[in-house]
Amino acid sequence: MTAIIELSAVTKTYDTGVVKVDALRGVNARIDEGEYVAVVGPSGSGKSTLMHILGCLDVPTSGTYHLAGEDVSTMTEADLAAVRNRRIGFVFQQFNLLASMPAWRNVELPLVYAAVPRAERKERALAALAKVGLAERADHKPGELSGGQQQRVAVARALVTEPALLLADEPTGNLDSESTTDVLNLFDELSALGRTIVLITHEHDVAARAGRSLIVRDGSIQLGAPA
Amino acid sequence: MTWLETLRTGLEAVRAHRLRSALTMLGIVIGVSSVILTVGLGQGAQDQVSAQISALGSNLLVVSPGSTTSTTGVRGGFGSSTTLTLSDADAIADKSVAPEVAQVAPTTTGSVSLIDGTTNWTTSLVGTTPAWLQVRSRSLASGRFFTQAEVDSGAHVVVLGSDTASQLTRGDPVGQTVTADGATLTVIGVLKPSGSASTSTTSEDDNAVLPISTEKAITGATGNSVSSIYVEGKSQATLGAAYAEITTLLQNLHSVTANNADFTLTSQDSLLETANSTNKTLTVLLGGVAAISLLVGGIGVMNIMLVSVTERIREIGLRKALGATPRVIRRQFLVEASVLGLLGGLFGVLLGILGAQVLPPLINQPVSVSLLATLGAIATSLALGIGFGVYPASRAARLTPIDALRSE
Repeated sequence: MTAIIELSAVTKTYDTGVVKVDALRGVNARIDEGEYVAVVGPSGSGKSTLMHILGCLDVPTSGTYHLAGEDVSTMTEADLAAVRNRRIGFVFQQFNLLASMPAWRNVELPLVYAAVPRAERKERALAALAKVGLAERADHKPGELSGGQQQRVAVARALVTEPALLLADEPTGNLDSESTTDVLNLFDELSALGRTIVLITHEHDVAARAGRSLIVRDGSIQLGAPA
Repeated sequence: MTWLETLRTGLEAVRAHRLRSALTMLGIVIGVSSVILTVGLGQGAQDQVSAQISALGSNLLVVSPGSTTSTTGVRGGFGSSTTLTLSDADAIADKSVAPEVAQVAPTTTGSVSLIDGTTNWTTSLVGTTPAWLQVRSRSLASGRFFTQAEVDSGAHVVVLGSDTASQLTRGDPVGQTVTADGATLTVIGVLKPSGSASTSTTSEDDNAVLPISTEKAITGATGNSVSSIYVEGKSQATLGAAYAEITTLLQNLHSVTANNADFTLTSQDSLLETANSTNKTLTVLLGGVAAISLLVGGIGVMNIMLVSVTERIREIGLRKALGATPRVIRRQFLVEASVLGLLGGLFGVLLGILGAQVLPPLINQPVSVSLLATLGAIATSLALGIGFGVYPASRAARLTPIDALRSE
């Protein structure tokens, strides 16, 4: 198995000028291709910081992070943007869809930044929407879709670039139980197709759907037991 | 992300907030259209004055009496004295003294009531010599001008201005007679319209031109003083030399120096300069006010862009998370600001051109839209959009994706 994520001795310190906060204190972790991993932990545990580093939204203070074999721990902001674009598909708690655009335009957005030609973008966006079962909703704006449907559009957007990693940050936090099941089933399907998924959550029944859990507590990973 | 893509995104953002975009552009629209209108008004007035002055004649110099300084030190005003005479005109016409002078037309002017049967019309009476026609760049619509022989004999003939002719007679005026101060004059010709717009006080088309000897006989004027001497220089290039020749000649004849000269010599250029300098001052002043309003419009763009950055902080975060580099984000907001500026400029130009069509009949002033001012205004509004977009755009670019995404 090739490793998608390799963290070694990763620390993150926030310096507010008044106090220094050690959000991560030496995290080591490895996630292989095709794995479905839940990152769990109470709020304030460093879970969000870990997610930011995994998502290349932030860089570690020390230690190294290899994403799909590439050392991203010392990259510039512009390089990180390119890595996020190529390697990572994000699913957020707030969906973060642009309200003024129809679903398919939201899904094609990462391809715009990857400089994919227009015609191909639309084709790939529609294909991704079909994968999440929303082919017939492609022209609907986010406001015309239910919460579960919006999150599925977001998943389609995350998948459209064929990223190495699907990173979901509390993807069910804003959904009712029916939509939650809906989205989690979608994740199960994707996992079965061989997608690497990292899911950050504080809900144990959500984490239970993953192959294994990384429990973050006080800035370090406590145990990585199979769920 | 290509520029085309960025432009599309910018246009979309402008469209997404239609009312706000329209209000933001309004400042630029008003600024640009007022710049175009004020510059157009100034230009129009300048063109009008230029046309009037050049209609006076080509390579024209005008000698007027005046600028006398009496022994008590009181300096008489322009045209207040009768120091110019026919012999001055003869001297100027002397080729050996003033070789750069082509023709000379001494002129006396007065006011007279012309009577044609039952019609009575008050007009200005111009007594002059045959050279007047060419010196003043005039031509005849019908009939003929009087000759030197008729000047010498004091023949009772008259040439009417086009307005005067139409006021006095019906049908062809040539051959008819009119009465002026009891003297009967035969109309021998009618002048073509001068082409210069008339003012309320004087018109180049409302006059009666007749031999200077006849004019003196009718008005009962004695002596040989004249109101002004019109001089045509040989060419535009040598007009300066002609000016100097006449000045020296008249100073010698009148035994005066430049300090106490009893005549004033003006050229078309000096008339134009005087008229235009006034116009220019006004245009610059009004244009300055308009430019300030354009600047205020630009500040409006910046204000809205800053609001837009704050309001769309989550969108910026999302775009960054999906792979937009700071440069792409900066570009997006810059393009958006430029689109606002440019669209404002274009609408402003449309409004300005529309105003230039609607305004002239209302204020009775010509407005000429200058291409340069139009292009300049568009370029300025684009530059304003870019200039005032830089700060909001770099603020957007500096946002970290986490902070941007986290914001509620």
